[in-house]
Amino acid sequence: MERPEFDIVIGKDGQVTVEVKGVKGPRCLHYADLIREIVGHEEQRKLTVEYYAQESKVRIDARAQQRRDD
Amino acid sequence: MSAVCVMTPLVIASWPVISAAVVGAAASMGFAVVGPRTNREEQTRQRGVETDVANSEVIAEQLAHDQKIVVHKGDVTITFAADERGRCTACVTGRRHSDEELRRIGEEVAGRVVQQFAYNKLVSELKSRDYSIVEEQVLSDESVRLRVRL
Repeated sequence: MERPEFDIVIGKDGQVTVEVKGVKGPRCLHYADLIREIVGHEEQRKLTVEYYAQESKVRIDARAQQRRDD
Repeated sequence: MSAVCVMTPLVIASWPVISAAVVGAAASMGFAVVGPRTNREEQTRQRGVETDVANSEVIAEQLAHDQKIVVHKGDVTITFAADERGRCTACVTGRRHSDEELRRIGEEVAGRVVQQFAYNKLVSELKSRDYSIVEEQVLSDESVRLRVRL
């Protein structure tokens, strides 16, 4: 089960930096959008290595399943 | 970790909500709140430097454009108000400070108002959506860090 966690830093100039943790793949963007709706305008979004790594893992698992089916 | 986002808060709220952020920010910087004032009250006539609170908009309501909140520390007085276009402004005065110093103070306080506003809004909205604040700390650079879980 997903347990989303936000690590939020509010700078002394008001800028908000959010890390979304505990959510695999593109679902994390849904949670990032939640924070954006609350805070306001998004300046920058960075998808991390882990985000793409998770996507690769999904593809590898799918191929493994296909081989088993063969 | 899957995504990192950098956001700029939009400070759009009614005057009482923005006032709460002003009071919180001012107190955290050692300013004392002199109190809300209206335009009808006597104003100190001093040279001042005006700064906008970035991305701010005071939602129109009765009396909003008449109200001000004044904070004070040493010889520095800052008057927060909504201007005729609805933006929140901070007018900084201080006899023993140059315009450049007053501008710097104004920008720092305006930033802290945005910080306080963002903090108040995030905490209240996330709690209303059943998230819990599991850790909160003020960092050495005066940023505020929140760890939040569903």
